[in-house]
Amino acid sequence: MTRALFALKLRLLHNGPHDERAFSLVTGLILAALVIWGASPAAHGVIHEDWIAVALTVWGGMWLFGPLTRPRHDPSVISREWLRGYPLPSWRLARALSWTELLGVGPLITLACLSSLAVLAAPGGTAAVAAAVAAMAAQLYLLIWAGKTVAALAAWLLQTRVGMTLAAVQTAIMLALSFAGWVPVAAWLLPRLGEGDLALVTSTAGRLPEPVSDVLAASPTGWGYGAALAARDGAGAEPVLLPLAALLASGALLHLCWIALTVRALRRPPRRASPRRPAVPGRGLSLPFTTPQVAAVVSRELATWLRDPARGVELRTAWLTPLLMALIIAVTDWSWALPLVGPAAAAFGAMAAVNTYALDGTALWQLLITPGALKNDVRGRMTAWALLFGLPSIALAVVLWAATGSPLGGAAVGGAIAAAAAGCAGAPLLALVMPAVGTDARDRFHPGQQAGDPTGGQMTIFPGVLLAAILPGVIGGPWWGTFLIAVLLASVILSGLPALTVRLLQQRATGLLEAMATRDTAALRPVNRPRAARSSRR
Amino acid sequence: MQTPGVPAIEVADLTQRFGTVLAVDRLSLSIEPGMCYGIVGPNGAGKTTVLTAMCGLRHPTAGTVRIAGHDLRTARETALARLGVMMDGLSLPERLTATEVLRYSAGLRGLDGGWRKRAGDLLEVLGLDAVPRTLIVEYSTGMRKKITLALALLHRPPILVLDEPFEAIDPVSAHSIEQVLEQYVDAGGTVVLSSHIMDFVERNCRRVAVVVDGRVLVEGPVEQVAEGSTLNERFVELVGADPVRPLEWLA
Repeated sequence: MTRALFALKLRLLHNGPHDERAFSLVTGLILAALVIWGASPAAHGVIHEDWIAVALTVWGGMWLFGPLTRPRHDPSVISREWLRGYPLPSWRLARALSWTELLGVGPLITLACLSSLAVLAAPGGTAAVAAAVAAMAAQLYLLIWAGKTVAALAAWLLQTRVGMTLAAVQTAIMLALSFAGWVPVAAWLLPRLGEGDLALVTSTAGRLPEPVSDVLAASPTGWGYGAALAARDGAGAEPVLLPLAALLASGALLHLCWIALTVRALRRPPRRASPRRPAVPGRGLSLPFTTPQVAAVVSRELATWLRDPARGVELRTAWLTPLLMALIIAVTDWSWALPLVGPAAAAFGAMAAVNTYALDGTALWQLLITPGALKNDVRGRMTAWALLFGLPSIALAVVLWAATGSPLGGAAVGGAIAAAAAGCAGAPLLALVMPAVGTDARDRFHPGQQAGDPTGGQMTIFPGVLLAAILPGVIGGPWWGTFLIAVLLASVILSGLPALTVRLLQQRATGLLEAMATRDTAALRPVNRPRAARSSRR
Repeated sequence: MQTPGVPAIEVADLTQRFGTVLAVDRLSLSIEPGMCYGIVGPNGAGKTTVLTAMCGLRHPTAGTVRIAGHDLRTARETALARLGVMMDGLSLPERLTATEVLRYSAGLRGLDGGWRKRAGDLLEVLGLDAVPRTLIVEYSTGMRKKITLALALLHRPPILVLDEPFEAIDPVSAHSIEQVLEQYVDAGGTVVLSSHIMDFVERNCRRVAVVVDGRVLVEGPVEQVAEGSTLNERFVELVGADPVRPLEWLA
């Protein structure tokens, strides 16, 4: 059975898309080569070997946290759905499947990276290298099963009702650390930047503080490293064998956990988390300054943001990330930077809403058959975005300015106004021109399902919103000038972009519907696609 | 409900090409108002493609579609206002309840207050009022067909275009949909539908078009097309069915 599953996986890998896998392989091998290259001078004392421990810890962290950074991505190549109907014992099937998990880019590049241990141990002679090779294998075994178990656990949790919040918290933590994780370090190096003082506080470089290197060596990602160093230094059998035994025992335990989780997945069909239902079936929404048509769209949008699993993750992520960023900044001496979280919140809101047309999927047909609906739909989406993300981000900047009295407060509020306008008008436009088509709305029940990868749209809108946020501060001068420029900029954006979006929607909506019905964005090109490519229902 | 003498739907030389595949080949139909009109054909014959072009969900490669005399290309909004559409296999605003989606549709169309009564009636006769808090995404196939029909009827259009309204649903749901459609046609409405359920077409449609390979093979009153057989027998005869050789291993 293992051989059949191996053959199936090889065939799937061969026939599947290669772009992402090839990119991971090349990038991974380059990074692994850098670690190996670094291990050689470390072995000879040119740089401190602690840095290899850092590299291996980061690499191990990728195995553990990698699946969490993409909470809506199912990493399994062989679907459990296909195997559920076979009259085979689940444990046997899961055990056979577990061996196929070793086949992939991740184990290969990790093995390449871990070969740095052999380079580190080389000065200790052949026996030390042999021990390092054993450490490589044991460390790889642990990392693979730790990563796979975390991914399987996350996949299971995502099918529960808390999955939406869980996925959002994971993503928000990763984003907040990516965008504000450098602030504590910068605040330590430049403690008085807020007062215009650029005096740099430097420290002794070359090696890590001792407690940090102790923690790295003691953590499971450092056990193989510890064994290799012990072998090189001739520290005796115990310091070499003990970490190897710990690696193998922990790896075996995690392997067993993964098998148990897979058995569960094989025995039970995927859970269909009951969606959040309205306590009282919806009431109409009346909004000032809007027509009933736009109010109807706003009402639909607000309900969808709160109830759709994919949009729910984006909404929570966009709200949580700026708050976590504020928390990170607040514990440093850079409290003057806090109001800048306001424009950042607008940018995250824009990124959250950059794929709404694809997420709503083929429901677009309802707009196409309703006279005048496309224009009202764009306006309604913008109004809902302003209520959920735009106004809160401006309010956040104002509150944090008031709380900190920061000299950048005026620029931050002006930036938040301009950024909110850019996000409000830009998100529907990019949702239309860069749709990331995934599972149709009617078939999505939990955030673990593929809902389209909007990274391209997010990477496009982020610099646009950032630019809009920066401009008022750069050209505005005093706070009132900044405010005035921000309002002018927002007016220009809001009067130009929505008209463009409506015009493009009128031109492209039928193609977009076709693309979503067939899950083939090639349908967005002017030439029609062959009918053979259409969905199987027809 | 409609202007006398003007066809409810007029399709002239409709052609739809997907790359090198010719899905619809110069197809023409003229559907008089106040009748139920059936379009039947084997899978892949082009029925859905014709219906999607009829209701403006696809721009045809060539040809024209007129709804109550209004050209879909030049007077799209006016033409669409006459239509109620029920498409198969497409999403709706999935995270709304039945009441919410009807309210949304009424708001989007700018309907007057009368829609509330109609929505209540539709939910009741289609049996959707029993699940007021259930979201569309949780609906069964039959419930989806019913809510889509309710959406299509809410604004009281004179013409209904229905894509496979009876496929994959239980007999009870089919019965309630059939009853609503009968009332609609009796009141002067026009229904154009595609279906594989020959029994329904024979029972309810006045005229039928058999579409094969994107072309109309036969068109006319149902009795005339059936030529004394059942519509199902005549359909198999027209389309042609290869004999299935015996499979020894099934014995």
